[in-house]
Amino acid sequence: MTKRPGRFSVIGTRRPRLDGPLKVTGRSQFTDDIVLPGMLHGKIVRSPIARGRILNIDTARAERLPGVKAVLTHRDAGDFMAGPDLFLLKQEQVNFFGDEVAAVAAIDEDTAAEAAELITVEYEPLPPVLSVQQALTADAPLIHTYQDSNQADEIRMDFGDADKAFREAEHVRTDTFTVHPNHSCYSEHHVVLADYSLPDKLTIWTPIQSSLFIQMNMAFKFGLPVSSIRIMNLNTGGAFCGRGGEKPHHYIAALLSRKAGKPVKIQCTAAEEFLVYRGGGTHTFTLKTGVMQDGTLKAVDTDLLLDCGAYMDTQFIVLRFIGFSQQMLYKLDASRFRGQLVYTNNPPYVFHHGTGMVALRFALGSQLDLIACDLDIDPVELRVKNAVDKNYTTPSKIHYASCGLKECIKKAASKSGWKKKYKKLPPLQGIGIGCGVIRSGGKGMMDHDTSAAVINVGEDGKATLFTGLPDMGQGSHTAMAMIAAETLGILPEDIRVIAGDTDVAPFDMGAIAQRGTFTTGNAVKQASLDARRQIAKAAAAQLGVKPTQLVFNNRSVYAREAPDRTIPFEDAAYSTLHSIEGRYVTGKGFYNPPTQAVDTQTMQGNPALAYSFGAQVAEVEVDPETGIVKLLKMTVAHDVGRAINPLAVEGQLDGQVFSGMGQALFEECIMQDGQTLNPTFLDYRLPRTFEIPEMKHIIVESIDPYGPFGAKEVGQGPIQCTTQAIANAVSNAIGYPLTELPITPERVLAALRQSGEIAILKD
Amino acid sequence: MKKIITLEVNGDLHEVAVAVHQTLLEVLRDKLGLTGTKRGCAVGTCGVCTVIIDGKAMLACLLLAVECQGRSITTIEGISSADELHPVQQAFVDQGAIQCGFCTPGIVMTSKALLDKTPRPDDEQIREALAGTFCRCTGHIKIMEAVKTASQYERAEKKSD
Repeated sequence: MTKRPGRFSVIGTRRPRLDGPLKVTGRSQFTDDIVLPGMLHGKIVRSPIARGRILNIDTARAERLPGVKAVLTHRDAGDFMAGPDLFLLKQEQVNFFGDEVAAVAAIDEDTAAEAAELITVEYEPLPPVLSVQQALTADAPLIHTYQDSNQADEIRMDFGDADKAFREAEHVRTDTFTVHPNHSCYSEHHVVLADYSLPDKLTIWTPIQSSLFIQMNMAFKFGLPVSSIRIMNLNTGGAFCGRGGEKPHHYIAALLSRKAGKPVKIQCTAAEEFLVYRGGGTHTFTLKTGVMQDGTLKAVDTDLLLDCGAYMDTQFIVLRFIGFSQQMLYKLDASRFRGQLVYTNNPPYVFHHGTGMVALRFALGSQLDLIACDLDIDPVELRVKNAVDKNYTTPSKIHYASCGLKECIKKAASKSGWKKKYKKLPPLQGIGIGCGVIRSGGKGMMDHDTSAAVINVGEDGKATLFTGLPDMGQGSHTAMAMIAAETLGILPEDIRVIAGDTDVAPFDMGAIAQRGTFTTGNAVKQASLDARRQIAKAAAAQLGVKPTQLVFNNRSVYAREAPDRTIPFEDAAYSTLHSIEGRYVTGKGFYNPPTQAVDTQTMQGNPALAYSFGAQVAEVEVDPETGIVKLLKMTVAHDVGRAINPLAVEGQLDGQVFSGMGQALFEECIMQDGQTLNPTFLDYRLPRTFEIPEMKHIIVESIDPYGPFGAKEVGQGPIQCTTQAIANAVSNAIGYPLTELPITPERVLAALRQSGEIAILKD
Repeated sequence: MKKIITLEVNGDLHEVAVAVHQTLLEVLRDKLGLTGTKRGCAVGTCGVCTVIIDGKAMLACLLLAVECQGRSITTIEGISSADELHPVQQAFVDQGAIQCGFCTPGIVMTSKALLDKTPRPDDEQIREALAGTFCRCTGHIKIMEAVKTASQYERAEKKSD
C-alpha cells in the first residue's frame, strides 16, 4: 500500500457535507415540502385481504363527495402494467394485503381519505399462500393464474467442477440458515408529486436512487418520449437499496393527475408504509461447503429459496447477486448455486439494506465458523488462509485489480484484540468476525454503466458541477465536489453542485450498485480535467510556459519549475473567459467502465472494474435471563480504495453497522395471514440510541488503479460483514450456533436451552 | 367547522383558521409554510417533527393546533440567525452528524431542548434525550458526538459574551 501523505490538498481531508447548513436548518427541500398551485392530494384504496376475488367496485359515493376531482379504478387504468406481473389497479383478483385497487384525488388530504373510505369493494376471500414451501406444493393455488407455477424465477450457476471439488474435499458440511422478512424504515416515507396536467409533459418529484430508470420506465408506459418525462429528485430521505425504481404509487399519482388535469401528491401514511414496500422476504439457504483438513476451502453449493411476495419487481436481480457473491470472497475451486424466487401472498418484497447479499454473508460466515470449529482452526486464521488477493480471478472470472481483504481481516483482528479474547472471554460474552466483498458499479442492468458530468467555471473562479447522481445522504455530492476541486486546484466550497433535475442533469445510471464514487467520480474527474485544459491555455501563455507544465493547486496556477510565480485561479478563469476570443469554460466528461456484462449463458465474466472488501469484529454480551444481546463494540475495517472524505466514510461505516445490527438482532416483520403484525416503528423493533455500540474505524486504502484517485465504494460494502460478525459473536457467547436472523431474545433463549445439552462452539 | 386561533411561533404571532382536529404539524407546514419541520410517520414514533414548546421538546404530529394557543413554539426556522447557525446546528455540520437530513431538524431541536436544560450532558443523558428520535443513516454515532461538541460550542460562546 503506497500512501503518500500530502500529495493531495483536498482528497483525503475531512470535509463536512456542503449541503449541511441547508439540511440542519430545514431548508433542504424534500418532496412533501413542494406545494404546486392547484395541487390535489391522492389516496390509494388497498386490499384488506391477502388473496381474493374482486366481485364489485362501487365508486359512486366517492365521486359524489364534494372536493373529489378524480377517481381511478381498473376501468381507467385498463391493462396498465406497473411491473412484469403487476396490473396497476386490480380488476379480478387481489394478491396481498395492501394490493392497489382504486385511487382518488381531492382538494385536501382529509377529503381524499374520506373519499377512499366511500369506495366499497366486495371481495370473495380465497385461501392465501403464505410460505415458499406451501407455494411450491403441487396443489398450491397459482398466485398468478396465467403462469404455470408459483416459481417467479429460477437461476442456476455452476462455476468450476463442483462434483470433483466435493469428491476431493476432506470435510463437507451442510447447514440451513433462515433470514426472516424485514423492512427498510425510511424516515421519509414513500411520497410522490406528479404533474401530468398537460398531456405532453409529466413531471415527477420523488425520493429515488436513480432518476434514469423511473424516467425511462415512465416514458415507456405512458408512450411519451423520454425527454417529456422530468424527474425531480430534490433530496432522498434514506434509500438503502430499495429506492432504485418506481412503484405503483408513482403511476397512480401520474394517472390521477392526468385525469384531474392538476398536480397530485400522494404521501404514504405510517399505516401504509409497511404495505407499499418492504425489504427482503424470507431467505432460506441450504449451504454445502467442502474443505480440506488444513482449512483450504474447495467448493460451495447453495440452494436458496427466496420469498418473492405477490409481485416480482426487480427481485430477479437479488438471485443473481447472491449467486455471484458466494464465490467472490474466498478462493474456491468451484461454486454451484440454485436460487428460486417464489410467489406467495405476502406483500411484494424488494431490496433491503445490503440486498440479499447480507443474508448470504450471514449464512456463509456462520457456516465458516462451524467449519473452523470442526477443524479446530481459529476463525480469523481460516479467513486469512482462504481470502482472495489482488489479481485473483474467481471461478466465474471476476477479477480483482485491487484487494485489501487480508489487510482488513488482520487489522480488524489485531485492533479488536482478537487473540486475547477469542475463547478466553467470560461466559456469555462473545467475539465474532465477518467479511464481505461488493462491486463498485459495473454492467448487467444495461450494456453500459455510464455516468456523465459537466462543469462550468465562471469568471470568479467558482465552478458549477452538474451531475445526475442522487445524494441520498451518503455524501456523494460533496465527494464529487472534492474530486472536481482537487483536479481544478480549487476548494470544494468553490463548487456548487446542481443535481436532481433530469431536464438539467447529465446522463447517469444513478446511485445504485455502489457505483457513485467510482463511476460518476471518474466522469467528474474527466470533466474537471477538460475544464482545466481550457483554462491552462491562457494561464500558460501568461506565465510563458507550456500548458503541460502547469500545476493547479489551492486556488492558484503556476509552472512546476517556478512555483514562486503564481496566478490566482480566479484570474486564470477570468482571462480565459474575457480574452479576445471570448471563450467559455465548460468541461465535459463521461465514464463507462471498459468491462462487459456477464455472459447470459455461462454467467461468466467480470462486469465491474473495482471491488471493495471489508472485515468486522463484533463483541457482544448476552443476558441469560432475558435473552437480550448487547452489542458492545464493533471494529470495522473497510477497503475503500482511497478515502475521498474520511468523515463521510466513517458515516457510511457507522450507518451500515447500525443497520446491520438491526438486521442481526432486532428487525423482523412478524407475519400472520399475509399481514404484518408490527407495522409501526414502535412495534417493529429497530436500534435506537441505547443500542449504539463503541465503534472503531479502520480505513484500508488499496488504491485502486481505475478508481478516481484510487477510490472504490463504501456504499453497501460494510453491511455485508456486520450481521455475520454479530451472529458469530452471539454463537461464540452462548456456545451454540444461531441459524436464524434476527437473533431475537426468544431465539437466544431457545438456543441457550439447547446449548445446555450440546456445546459446539466452546470448549 | 374552523376555529380562529393565535399561535406564537418563533416569537411571531400568527392568526390562523384551523379545523379542531388539525395537528400542529399540519398547521406549521401547510398554513404557516414552515416546512423545516418535516413530516415523518405523523403518529409519534419517529421524532422527525420535534419542535420546542415552552422549553420542552415535543412532537408536532401528536399535538392539536388548538392546544397550542398561548404557548411559545420554536421550530427549526427559529433557532438560527440570518448570519449564523445555532451552535447545535454548527456542531451537527462539523461532526458529520447529517446524512439524508430528513430527521436532522427534529434531532437538532431535541438536542437543543436537552442542552438548554442540561448544558453538560453525559452520554446516558444524551442517549435518553434522543431515544425517541430515529436516524436510519448515521447510526446516531456522530449525532452523539455532535451533541457533545454543541455543548462545548455553547460554553465557549457564553465565555466570550
